[in-house]
Amino acid sequence: MLSRVAERLYWMARYIERAENTARLVSVYSMLLLDLPRGVGIHWRQLVEIYGGNELFYSRYRSDGESNILKFIAADTGNPGSLLATLAMARENVRTTRDQIPSEAWQAINELYLFGRRRLPAPTFRKNLHRILSEIIARCQRTTGVLSGAMSHGPGYQFVRIGRNIERADMTSRIVDVGSTTLIAEGDERKILANRLWMNVLNALSAHQMYRQYVRRRIRRGDVIRYLMEDADFPRSVSHSLLQLQECLGQLPNQKKPEQAIARLRKSIMKQEFEDLAGDSLHKFIDHLQEDLAGIHQIIARTWFVTEVDEKV
Amino acid sequence: MIIRVLYNVTMRIDWSRYDPGKFYDELISTPGNPRTASRSLATYLGSLSDQQLNRRQRAAELAIEEMGITFTVYSEGQNIDRSWPFDIIPRIIAGREWHRLQLGLTQRLSALNMFIEDLYNEQKIVKDRVFPQTLLKGSQNFLKQCVGVKPLYGAWAHVCGTDLVRDSDGIMYVLEDNLRVPSGVSYMIENRRITKQVFPELFRRRTILPVDDYPAHLFDMLASLSPRPLDHPEIVVLTPGIYNSAYFEHSFIAQQMGTELVEGSDLFVDSDDCVYMRTIDGKQRVDVIYRRINDDFLDPEAFRPDSRLGVRGLHRAWMAGNVAVANAPGAGVADDKVVYTFVPEIIRYYLDQDPIIPNVPSYRCMDKGSREHVLKNLRSLVVKPANESGGYGMLVGPASTAAERKKFSNLIKRNPRNYIAQPVLSLSTAPTLCNQRVEPRHLDLRPFILQSEQSYVTAGGLTRVALSKGSLVVNSSQGGGSKDTWIIESGTR
Repeated sequence: MLSRVAERLYWMARYIERAENTARLVSVYSMLLLDLPRGVGIHWRQLVEIYGGNELFYSRYRSDGESNILKFIAADTGNPGSLLATLAMARENVRTTRDQIPSEAWQAINELYLFGRRRLPAPTFRKNLHRILSEIIARCQRTTGVLSGAMSHGPGYQFVRIGRNIERADMTSRIVDVGSTTLIAEGDERKILANRLWMNVLNALSAHQMYRQYVRRRIRRGDVIRYLMEDADFPRSVSHSLLQLQECLGQLPNQKKPEQAIARLRKSIMKQEFEDLAGDSLHKFIDHLQEDLAGIHQIIARTWFVTEVDEKV
Repeated sequence: MIIRVLYNVTMRIDWSRYDPGKFYDELISTPGNPRTASRSLATYLGSLSDQQLNRRQRAAELAIEEMGITFTVYSEGQNIDRSWPFDIIPRIIAGREWHRLQLGLTQRLSALNMFIEDLYNEQKIVKDRVFPQTLLKGSQNFLKQCVGVKPLYGAWAHVCGTDLVRDSDGIMYVLEDNLRVPSGVSYMIENRRITKQVFPELFRRRTILPVDDYPAHLFDMLASLSPRPLDHPEIVVLTPGIYNSAYFEHSFIAQQMGTELVEGSDLFVDSDDCVYMRTIDGKQRVDVIYRRINDDFLDPEAFRPDSRLGVRGLHRAWMAGNVAVANAPGAGVADDKVVYTFVPEIIRYYLDQDPIIPNVPSYRCMDKGSREHVLKNLRSLVVKPANESGGYGMLVGPASTAAERKKFSNLIKRNPRNYIAQPVLSLSTAPTLCNQRVEPRHLDLRPFILQSEQSYVTAGGLTRVALSKGSLVVNSSQGGGSKDTWIIESGTR
């Protein structure tokens, strides 16, 4: 398999997963803003922060009101992390590897992009926020389903899975970060508010029901974080994504280095106690986690996407 | 009680009202009289109502859309993928005529390959004063970087697309030879697939030569070029990428042959002067490259240094005999309108045979007598520059303005070597479905010829048709369409 083709399939899957999770993230934020009373310390601008987009945002917009932030995250093509830009890049990667994936998948991605281009920049976006975001999430999942059901599960598909899982681990950590950056002041209502906060985090990841069934306790911050970080079976947990990655690597040549890096990261997650981790330290831990994932991407790229033999030119 | 109308008034094709006029029609000889090979098709089409015929045309268009058969038009700074324009009424050539044309096409390409090999080596044809030295000196497509190379089987142009046209005298002429990166073969194959879907019943009753074995022949031809004696040589199709107008074809051919479709950046030449592709298993040696990139852009080290489409060192690897390249760099020297006028002499010189298919009579502006004739008769001639393709840079006399003729007159005087002139041809016609009616439209034919240790000619080729009335322009980028082409062996099954 050509390295270029492997790389494009990997990025296609990353972008689709990123689009889905961006939609989830925006969705949870708007819910939280409805659920939490004013002055609790939650603001749209934290969304930009979680995304690592502060600098770009303030260079493009003067005020950080809801409408600017939604525009920046959903439809601003000058922001490479925006939902619309992400969909466009997913499509571009497929366009150049159309012969490698089933035609229904190309069609699904093409339609997803066209839907985004029509609805995200429209003035009616804010009014129909949830409907549009759930539609995007559903269409992303449809693509994932078509790929799983119609693409040969050879090396090409493994690169799709690698891209999806590395992105998913990263995005789950960002959604958990919503919890760490939302400050809830001391007071009578503290417990109730915290409960609402973490329930929304679970909801954003479609994890509420599974959490109930498998953790079997009321919603507690430490348990939620542990579930989303360490649970081996929940498909959006960081740990599960890493296990998936390892399974994919097993089917590819020269997999040793990436395998070791992933094992190291997983071990550090399993070792971490989340119970007593204060907001600030949790935020730092998540930052490190994201850096490690970026490192794993580097190793994957060096192993399969760039062959180093002719770098002498 | 409501009485249903069982039969609406139906219009059928009435061949006695189909009149190609002074032109030679491929299917109908005179109003009401189909040619022998076309008789049963004409009868069948005449039995369909207009409605049925139009329904089939719509079915074909739908199939094209669903199969994603497209071509890319570059317009206003944007690439647009358009559905392939297709007419459902096939163009028919009798088997007996075709076999003679096949021989003629093979003869022509054999001679052209010997000519190219000679130019890059001994240059006997120049020494014997059959081909003028001045012409060789002025050739833009002669690549000095290729001098002294002797590719396997003496084959330089492995894939050739030769355009044939029929004049009102009923004779097929060669209009031009495309020896660089001829395209269209994928559409020939897809046209047949669509026709089979739309008119399955027609294939049961007669022997129509199949066309879909082309990718297998192309693969065998490419495999025969491998510099390593291997059972499974690594063959790749090299494309400039998604923005090229023929990208659909590149990806189609790679898929049909089961080979990798690569871009320049997927390949590199290592210190051993061998070509490798970058794969997830590391580097993998490439034996044969079917390139769909022009010479200029093939290798920034040997040719245009600003090329970002090619592979640095590719020419070096080819010269060293470590990789086969089809078509060979430099083969374009014979793809030149002025060289074209010499092809009959070239065939006689190398093969000692008379050309089986004639050239269109042509005037070389480099010869004084011809030039004067051309300059005097610009109004009735077509003037073509040596090195343009796709119908660009031409003067069509009867349709020209005085200013255009003045411009070409100056161009010819300044650089006579660069121009030839030909009489305006009356291209043959065939019945074509236009605005729900059947009318004659002009067409040409591009068969594809392969050559290495053996030769192969496609059964028919790509028929291109000018869809607007009276037009002679068949290029798909300029309103042309296409038809399936049937070679019918005599005798029914």
